[in-house]
Amino acid sequence: MSFTSHAFLFYFLPGALVVYHLTPRRPPALRKTALLVLSYFFYAWLDPRLVLLLLATTVVNHRLVVWMARSSAERVRARWLAASLIINLGVLAFFKYAVFILEALDPLLQLSAFPGPRFEIALRAGISFFTFKIISYTIDVHRGEPPARSFLDLAVYIAFFPQLLSGPIQRFGTIDRKAERAASFAAQLESLPGAVPRLSFGAALFILGFAKKVLLADVLGKVADAAFSAAAPGTFDAWFGALAYSLQIYIDFSAYSEMAIGVGHLLGLECPRNFNAPCLATGFTDFWRRWHISLSSWFRDYLYVALGGNRKGAARSYLNLVIVFLLCGLWHGARWTFVAWGIYHGLFLLLERSRGRRTLYAVLPRAAQVAVTFLLVTVGWVFFRSETLTDAFLYIAAMFTPKEPAGGSLLLDSLLYTRTHLLVMASGLLLVFQPVQAADWAQKVTRARAVLLVFLFCISILTLFTQSFRSFLYFQF
Amino acid sequence: MTAIRTERGLQGIAVALTAAAAVIGVSCRRQPAAPSAAGADSKVTELGSIEVTARLVEIPEGAIFKREMYDYATVLKYQVLEVHRGDVSEETIYIGHYNPFKPRSEAADRRVEGIGGNLEVFRAGQMHRMALEVPIDDYFMGGIVNKYFGRFEGPIYWAVWTDEAGE
Amino acid sequence: MSHLPPPNILLVGGFLAAIASVGASQALVALIEGEGPRVAPLLTGVPSAARVRAFESDLEESSWLARRLRPWAQSLRFSLLREMGDDVVPGRDGWLFYRPSVRYLVEPWPGHRDGLEGSIVSAIAAFRDDLAARGVRMLLVLAPNKASIYPDRLSRRADAVAAVVHDGTLSVIARLRALGIEVVDLFSVFETARRRAEPVDGGRGIAAELYYLGQDSHWSPPGVRLAAAAVARRLLDLGWVERGEAEYALKESRVQRTGDLLRMVRVESIEQSFEPEAFQALQVVDAVTAVPYRDDPGSTVLVIGDSFLRIYSQEDPGAGGLVAHMARELRLPLSSLVSDGGGATLIRQTLSRKPTLLAGRSVVVWEFAERDIRFAMEGWPVVRLR
Repeated sequence: MSFTSHAFLFYFLPGALVVYHLTPRRPPALRKTALLVLSYFFYAWLDPRLVLLLLATTVVNHRLVVWMARSSAERVRARWLAASLIINLGVLAFFKYAVFILEALDPLLQLSAFPGPRFEIALRAGISFFTFKIISYTIDVHRGEPPARSFLDLAVYIAFFPQLLSGPIQRFGTIDRKAERAASFAAQLESLPGAVPRLSFGAALFILGFAKKVLLADVLGKVADAAFSAAAPGTFDAWFGALAYSLQIYIDFSAYSEMAIGVGHLLGLECPRNFNAPCLATGFTDFWRRWHISLSSWFRDYLYVALGGNRKGAARSYLNLVIVFLLCGLWHGARWTFVAWGIYHGLFLLLERSRGRRTLYAVLPRAAQVAVTFLLVTVGWVFFRSETLTDAFLYIAAMFTPKEPAGGSLLLDSLLYTRTHLLVMASGLLLVFQPVQAADWAQKVTRARAVLLVFLFCISILTLFTQSFRSFLYFQF
Repeated sequence: MTAIRTERGLQGIAVALTAAAAVIGVSCRRQPAAPSAAGADSKVTELGSIEVTARLVEIPEGAIFKREMYDYATVLKYQVLEVHRGDVSEETIYIGHYNPFKPRSEAADRRVEGIGGNLEVFRAGQMHRMALEVPIDDYFMGGIVNKYFGRFEGPIYWAVWTDEAGE
Repeated sequence: MSHLPPPNILLVGGFLAAIASVGASQALVALIEGEGPRVAPLLTGVPSAARVRAFESDLEESSWLARRLRPWAQSLRFSLLREMGDDVVPGRDGWLFYRPSVRYLVEPWPGHRDGLEGSIVSAIAAFRDDLAARGVRMLLVLAPNKASIYPDRLSRRADAVAAVVHDGTLSVIARLRALGIEVVDLFSVFETARRRAEPVDGGRGIAAELYYLGQDSHWSPPGVRLAAAAVARRLLDLGWVERGEAEYALKESRVQRTGDLLRMVRVESIEQSFEPEAFQALQVVDAVTAVPYRDDPGSTVLVIGDSFLRIYSQEDPGAGGLVAHMARELRLPLSSLVSDGGGATLIRQTLSRKPTLLAGRSVVVWEFAERDIRFAMEGWPVVRLR
């Protein structure tokens, strides 16, 4: 169920709020159960079979962690951790990468005259996110954090519906201090009985995210779709489309995150922030401190550190960096374009790391550094958006080779430069380059802000009624 | 104390306002006008040369769609449960419905007149009581979306009147 | 402002009222109309993604509040931003274009172009072969996209361009011709006609005669006549048809038409903000009796196709469509079969299902819209004639 779908907004969300807030506060297990049932219902809406996968994963990991926690022998604990990692990564690989691996092996399979299995895996919504949550939990327990008090606690953590499809990737018993100010999820879960805090903050954040998605991101998506679909766009068209996608992916994903955090607050649970004005970054290192924070910190804490981090010399740390970003690209999906995007970021980070975390353009004024970083990141998004590497390179060639549109693409301007698109592009640029973040603005709800927010919500709902449904970009990852 | 009152106030509003939506549950959709004798009404028993009650076996993917520019008939597969009038020898028959994305009461237009029924939405598993003609090409000349093309030999029936007769 | 509730209450109240509004209004309407809540479709049978999607779509479609507010919101967006929905692209001088047709021109064919081209060519060749086995010849007519012929009415950038034809279209035509399939090239017919026409707007290319309608996706009466003349000439040149002896005359008829593109928006206020297009159409009538042209079901020539055949024929003024004007050119009444939006495949399926429609024919003229090369309803399967 998408947050901007009719079913979620007008039926599931009001229903969930009523069910949850009417559930007796004691014993706490009642509310946790209510939350779990709501979350499973939410997931089943995509495909009822998904719930079985989620439930099975939860049961298996709960048992493994219980066995791990019972033992004090490091070798035994490591064995249980390895079992958990193999199972979780195996499930992830099967559901997300089986087709990709088979395609990559296709030339070999053809040579060997072995036809190889042919199948498509459709069941993968949210799997990258909840698998990473589980892995963080098992590693944390292995590192000495206490396990979940009960199966119910773990099940609620894994299935918590606001985060289920696209994060943020919140941890269970620990917190990422860069993104979180509140207690850990586990601690918040225990305080559930008394929790109706800050409904207005949740509502405000949800409305801001919803408006960003419906009024801006969906329209930007149409611009990007048109430009990236064109056979031979002109240079300006190509840049316009790339900028639109750069804005779309940030606004779309941050909107989802804000709505998720908003719903979390409506249920009395705080989720970590996922963005901090990434378009204002002055370099790639800075960008990754601000972009998809819960994912980047996950990779830092659970992969980079495990690979040795900075502790094994400069060369090894560079290699680790590239490995992390290659896998970060691959995490987004089974496509070479994601791998290329990860490597692209990894190389820029490596370059900055080799210069003492300074960019090549650090001498420029801050505004120019921001502009250069934004443009470089935008070029990187071309890999992310393209279906194939060939498409990506052709598109980048169109951006950097001055030329007029050719053939039918002459008519591309009729699809790109409409009044709505120009207005939304301008609004999007203004939004992403201003420093105030939605989560900060929503902290203090004045009367004027309340009126403005309700008005914005009504306008956004009206807009929703007039346009065809577009899912969030990050649902595919 | 004020903070607590505000919090309780908010909670009260939350419960009161959302209760309405929650009580409704998932949806209120128009119920078909209760047909007498499982779908039998004066139209279905009089129109067409054939009258059957049949179960809609499936709706193939992409068979029912809304396309703004054109009107189509879509062929759907039925399992015949009872033949009320006329001659139907097959257990499985294929029936063309005009613009099936519309409720049957709104399906007739200037081009195709005289069709109707109380069925709101087509769903696999439903039972329909239908007045039919056969073959479709004698009654409807236009786009026929037939996902079963080449997969059966018999004729395609034309749905004149379609009433819901249960699930 | 003091009479307003505290900001938090105001915000949360407004938020909850908004998310409860759709369900509450739906319940209220149901109560007033004596209908009950219904979740049965979701609860009966094995739960599946398809069942849930169908229910969700139904939920959205049947929303009373959304249905009431949608036209109003669309009208507002049109007034402020000239937006006309997902299917219509506004052009210049009040011209409208069908989005899939524009996309057809702008985009390359997705995936394996050879596969797509191959399936079209095989399907058409198989149809030609099946007809040939019955002693029937086939002439193919692609109705050009409006934006192919009038790119300048869509985009300023195309001011200096006479026509934009997708290279895929040209490639398909070339491959069909290489297989010996006769294809009428209406693209060059229209392009030449536009070039010859006297520009009346300082070289903007606005001709005295327009071959497509501004608010419609189809050709205009002059466009129909031009196409009919080209197709008839080709039939005569090929020697497949001999000119007959029927005497037809032309009768002027004033037509006022709200274009299909405008109707596609489905918002009355937007429709009303455009004047219906008024133009002269020419009806084909019997030269002696003045009775409007009627098909001859027993004609040796069968014309099959989509809405490009229907316009001015089954719609006002009647007897003014492509088939009637072809009949006038050939002095021979023809037979026709129309499948709206199904000119590529559905029409072949109809012939396959009802082979008697081919009895006594010697020529089939098969028309379909250019965009169907990529967007054909039901794709391009080979359909064998029985």
